[in-house]
Amino acid sequence: MAVKFESDASGAWNEMFSAPGQARPVYERLLADLDAYQPQELRARSEQLSRTFIDRGVTFAHSGEERPFPLDLVPRILGALEWDRLARGIAQRVRALEAFLADVYGAGRIFDEGLMPRSVITSSPHYCRPAFGISPPNDVRIAVAGIDLIRDEHGNFCVLEDNVRIPSGVSYVIENRRAMTQAFSSLFSDHRVHPVDSYPSRLFAALLAAAPRKAVDPVIVVLSPGVHNAAYFEHVLLARMMGVELVEGRDLVCRSNHVYMRTTNGERAVHVIYRRVDDDWLDPLQFRPDSVIGVAGLVNAARAGNVVISNGIGNGVADDKLVYTYVPEFIRFYLGEKPLLDNIETHRLEDAAVREAVLASLADYVLKPVDGSGGKGIVIGPQATKTELKALRKAIAAAPRNFIAQRPVALSTHPTFVGDSLAPRHIDLRPFAVNDGSDVWVLPGGLTRVALGEGELIVNSSRGGGSKDTWVINDEAVAFRGAVPPASSRPRRHGAAPRQNDEFVGAGDEQ
Amino acid sequence: MTPRLGLSIRHHTGFTYDGVAKASYNEARMTPRSLGTQQVQASKLTVRPAVPTWTYTDYFGTIVSAFDIQETHPQLEVEAVSQVESWAATLEAPLGWSELRSPHLVDRFSEFLLPTTRTAMGEVADLTAWRNLPDVHQCVEAVAGFVRSEVSYVPGATTVSATGREAWDRRKGVCQDITHVTIGLLREMGIPARYVSGYLFPAIDSEAGDVVEGQSHAWVEYYSGSWTGIDPTNGVRETERHIIVGHGRDYDDVAPLKGIYQGAASTQLGVVVEMRRTH
Repeated sequence: MAVKFESDASGAWNEMFSAPGQARPVYERLLADLDAYQPQELRARSEQLSRTFIDRGVTFAHSGEERPFPLDLVPRILGALEWDRLARGIAQRVRALEAFLADVYGAGRIFDEGLMPRSVITSSPHYCRPAFGISPPNDVRIAVAGIDLIRDEHGNFCVLEDNVRIPSGVSYVIENRRAMTQAFSSLFSDHRVHPVDSYPSRLFAALLAAAPRKAVDPVIVVLSPGVHNAAYFEHVLLARMMGVELVEGRDLVCRSNHVYMRTTNGERAVHVIYRRVDDDWLDPLQFRPDSVIGVAGLVNAARAGNVVISNGIGNGVADDKLVYTYVPEFIRFYLGEKPLLDNIETHRLEDAAVREAVLASLADYVLKPVDGSGGKGIVIGPQATKTELKALRKAIAAAPRNFIAQRPVALSTHPTFVGDSLAPRHIDLRPFAVNDGSDVWVLPGGLTRVALGEGELIVNSSRGGGSKDTWVINDEAVAFRGAVPPASSRPRRHGAAPRQNDEFVGAGDEQ
Repeated sequence: MTPRLGLSIRHHTGFTYDGVAKASYNEARMTPRSLGTQQVQASKLTVRPAVPTWTYTDYFGTIVSAFDIQETHPQLEVEAVSQVESWAATLEAPLGWSELRSPHLVDRFSEFLLPTTRTAMGEVADLTAWRNLPDVHQCVEAVAGFVRSEVSYVPGATTVSATGREAWDRRKGVCQDITHVTIGLLREMGIPARYVSGYLFPAIDSEAGDVVEGQSHAWVEYYSGSWTGIDPTNGVRETERHIIVGHGRDYDDVAPLKGIYQGAASTQLGVVVEMRRTH
C-alpha cells in the first residue's frame, strides 16, 4: 500500500513527508516496505495488533470502561541524530527540575534571587510541607520523568509539559514494540531500531541507587493503588520485569519508622518504594486521613531515612503548568546552561496587563488549568463555543493563578491507519527519563500518542487517543550523504545497534 | 531587664476507644521550643502504652514527636512535661504600610496572607477604617478588639473542627475560633498573620510551687517588621504568661495530637494542663 503525502490545512508539520512524493530520509525504507503490503493485509495486521493487546490485558480505563490502547501500525521514526539532541534536552530538563525541587524543599535560593515569586509555590496545591526535611540519599526526587514534547509547524520540538509525579505510559512503549516485532518482523530486519527493553533494568538500577545507604541488600517494591487504577497493567508489568514485589497499601506496615512487607513467610523490610499512588493518598497520617490505599507512617519512615519514596513526595510543584513557564529559567539558574529544548510560547495570567491582553482575544489561545492532567479542562480557543469562552473568562477572572494561556500549536501529523486507509493524524511524544543520581538516561523513542479523530489535537489516552511504536534509527549515513543507499550497500557500523538481536530475543521470549 | 517567669508545665491528653485500637500512628506537637521570648530548659514527652517516640522539626519550626503503637490498646495517653523560662517581648516600632505592602514582603509571607478553609472569612466586616490607621500595631489592636467584642468566648460553643467563619456566624467560640477569625481579617487587610499554639499561665500572683490549672491556648502573631504576638481572646498582647509551642497557617498545622488508628470510635480524653511557677 502506497503512503501518500496529504496536505493538512492546519499548517502542521508532516512527520513523514517534506513535500508530495518527498519522504523524509528516515522514512524512505519504511515506505518501500509498506508498499509491499496490500490494504487488506494491513487491516489483518492491525487486527492482530489489537488482539495481542486484548490478550495481554494492555488496557486503560476510559470513561469507566477498560479499553485496549489502540496501537497504530505505522511506526513513528526519529533519526538518531535528532534523537540525541532531544535526549540531551530532556536530560537537561530533568536535571534542572531536580535542582529546583531540592531548592524548593531546601534553601529556596531561587526566591531569594528574585527569579521566581515564592507565592507561585505557596499557592500550589502540590506544595508539600511534610516533604521538608526529607533528603533523598542520592539527591534523586525524580527517578522517572515523562517530558511531553510536540513538534511545531516549523519542525521544532517544544516541551508541552513535564510529568515528574507518577508519569505513566512506559508499559505501552514496551508492549507496542513487542506487538510490532511480532506483527511486522520483516520491518525490523530492515531497520536498526534502538531497543526499548532495557527500561525495566534501568529503572531497577535507579531504584537500587536510591536506596538508603545503610540498607545492605535493599528490597524494592512497586506500590500500586490496586486493580482499579487506570495504569494497573503497567504496575504489574514493571514489577514483573524488574523482578520485585507488586504491593498495595495493605501489604505494607510501618513500625518505628521502618517499613515492612507482609509475605507468606512473615515480614520483610522494604527500602525503596516505587510508588504509583498519588501524594494525597500515600500516608493517611500526613495527607488524606480517609485514604485506605496508603500506608500510615510512611512519610516519617522516609524522613527518618529508613525508606525511600520514589518519585519523591511534593514533586507536583515542579510540574505545575505555571511552574512550567519558569523551567527555562531553572536551566540557566541551576545549571548555567542554555536550554536545549524550548517551551511553547506561554503566558502567565497573574500579571494584569498580560491577562487583559489574553482575555481580549481569548479565542486565539489555548487555555490550560495549571493543575490538570490527561487533557482535562483544556479549552482550545479557536475551537471553543461562545458559551465555553464565557465560562472560561469568568473562571480566569476568579482565579488567574489557575490557568496558563498558550499559543495554539498545530501538532505535527503522521500517516495513521484509519478505516482502510492512511490519513494524517496529530501526534505528540512522551519520552521517559530515568535518573539514577549520576546520569539521566532517556529511553530511546518514548510513547507517541496519536489523536485518532480527524483534526483532534488532544492526544491523551484518557481522551480516547491511540499510540504508535516509536523508533529511533541510526541515520548517520543518511545525514551525511543526503540519500539512502540500498540496504545491502548501506554501511554497517559495528556497535551502532548491538542490541538489535537482544531485542528480538526479548520480544519473542515471554517472561 | 524584663521580669522572667519560670514555669513547669504538664500537658496531658489522649484518646479512649469504644473497645480497642489496633495499630495507631500519631504526631504530638506539645513540646515548647526556645525562641526570642522563651527558653526551654527541659522537656519530656511520654506515651502510654509505652513506646519510643521520634522527634523532628516540621516546616513551621514546631517540634513534633511521632510514634506508633502496634499492640491493641483501649486508651492512648500522651503527657508532655516542660520547664520553661519566659519573658515579655518589647514592642518594636512597626514597618510603615507601604513597606508592609511592598511586593517583596507580600511574596515572602504569601502563605500567611492567603486564606485557608479555617481562616477564610468572606466580607463580614468593613475594614476600611482600620486600614486607614497610621500604625500597624494600632490597626491589629483595633481588629483584635473588634473580634473580641463580636465573638463571645463560650467554652464548648464549637467543636475542634470549626472554621473561623462558622464561629463568626454564631458569634461565639473558643480561643481557637477567635484566633482564626482574627487571622482571617488581618490577612484580608494584607497583614501577614499566623496561628500560635501554646499555653497560658492564668495565675501570675500564685506562689512558686502552687499547682494551678492552666490551659491550652491559641493566639495570633502578625508581621510588622518582626513577628509580634497578640491574644484576641483575652484582649492583651503576648506576655510572659504565653508559652509558645508551635506556629502554623491555622490550627491544622499545629494540632497538639493528631493520629490515625484502626479500631472502634474514639473519644478525646479531657485535656489537663497543670502549671506551676518555679520562680
